[in-house]
Amino acid sequence: MRSLMVLTVLIGSLAAAPVAAQEGHPLKGSWLGTMAGNTVHNPDVVLVLDWDGKAITGMINPGTDNIAIRNATLNPQGWVVHFEADAKDAKGQAVTYVFDGRIENLHVPNRGIVGTWKSQRGNGDFKASRQ
Amino acid sequence: MSTRISRAFATAIAALLLAAPLTAHHEILAKFDNTKPTSLTGVVTLVDWRNPHAHVFVNVRDAKGQFANWAVELESPIDLQYSGWNRDSVRAGDNIRVDGIAARDGSRQVWGNTVVIVATGRRILNVEARVPPAPLTPRPAPRWPDKQPRLGSVPGGAEGYWASPSRTVLVENDADIPMTTYGLLRNVADAPKVAPMQAWALQRYTERQQRSLRDDPQFLHCKPPGGPRQFQLPYGVQFVEDRERQRVFVLIGSGNNNFRIIYTDGRSHQGQVGGDDDNPLYYGRSVARWEGEAFVVDTRGFNEDFWFTNGGLPHTEQLRLVERFTRTDFDTMRYEVTVEDAGAYTRPWKSSSTLRWVADEAMPRHLCQDNRP
Repeated sequence: MRSLMVLTVLIGSLAAAPVAAQEGHPLKGSWLGTMAGNTVHNPDVVLVLDWDGKAITGMINPGTDNIAIRNATLNPQGWVVHFEADAKDAKGQAVTYVFDGRIENLHVPNRGIVGTWKSQRGNGDFKASRQ
Repeated sequence: MSTRISRAFATAIAALLLAAPLTAHHEILAKFDNTKPTSLTGVVTLVDWRNPHAHVFVNVRDAKGQFANWAVELESPIDLQYSGWNRDSVRAGDNIRVDGIAARDGSRQVWGNTVVIVATGRRILNVEARVPPAPLTPRPAPRWPDKQPRLGSVPGGAEGYWASPSRTVLVENDADIPMTTYGLLRNVADAPKVAPMQAWALQRYTERQQRSLRDDPQFLHCKPPGGPRQFQLPYGVQFVEDRERQRVFVLIGSGNNNFRIIYTDGRSHQGQVGGDDDNPLYYGRSVARWEGEAFVVDTRGFNEDFWFTNGGLPHTEQLRLVERFTRTDFDTMRYEVTVEDAGAYTRPWKSSSTLRWVADEAMPRHLCQDNRP
């Protein structure tokens, strides 16, 4: 019972955590997302993105899976997002993910990316919100 | 003919009445819609005399005879006091008529363009733009014993500070692009002319403009006016030169009375070691040197949590500003800034303005923390 209360308080405090303001490049920052239906990797992902003035770089699940992203683009007309990532499954087989979506609610710090993911093993909806 | 003239005159008057005010601390059209003129008549229930804007609350009877309480937003108490008004200029129980513009969100709020006491017809709480008078004969800039120009007041002399910027926006090469005091473009198609923005930055700037700057973090959350914006706002800045400790403090009248430190001790871009030495800041980290008559300040280490100029030009953590301050005479400070930000712009670009010395006055204390969005 006590551990349930602690867990509830912890979840509540996480949910209430403020989102850092970000008025620069709209993809920069940490994102929490879901790859619905992904059975190869955990569908819940952390996405860390950066912008150096020329290229968007980043990592999926840094510290756990460490899946580097590549070919990331942002088209400001419609704020269309695309990126890819080369991963391996539990047996070491290559899995290439392709993400396509668009930024929603650009003007707020906890803006979102909504779209789809696909790989050789499946596909589904993808969504993430900036933390 | 006379009808046409009177129509044109009426249109001009209406345009004047609907124009954004000169002295508010942010773009009024961010909150209020100038296509929604609104008139209210009612009894004052409360006068809220606080920064950043004074409010008068009024009970107004609607078409069904029901009373509704409206908030009438006015200029800041500082500007109202400069114009001779105080918290007792209108009192609970007074019957007033307000002509203004309605809030965009449909709430019972109006920006009060004019407020009139119904019983007397007297207009109250109006604000005139303040511009310090130019001296008839330019006075030379005050100097230290070693002949270096002083940036601030002369010890033992009259008080003063810098305000009334000649430009309240940042535009490349000072191009004349029509926009409001707070950088809202008259024609959003002019956005690409403002600065050499990368595609994402141009689109973000354009969308901020299309939303009438309502996402301004200074307006929404009282975020500090870092970068050139600290010199674009109405309540001025003050330079305090601490030669013994080799630094210059810039006291900022707008925002939340923040201050900025400019180091002149030859250090690299480093803040207070063990304090702010490695985290990005609203005012960045500034080091400076004198080049002849110019105080040249090099600033890096900005965060991305604020707008560095009126109008919402984007920037990234790569922002570097090189600012040149030249006190060309006692009453004039020339400000030139070079913007370098490879994250948001395609090349470095420049803009400039002048500040006027406001003599014999202390800098106003304006705190934003009581903001009522």
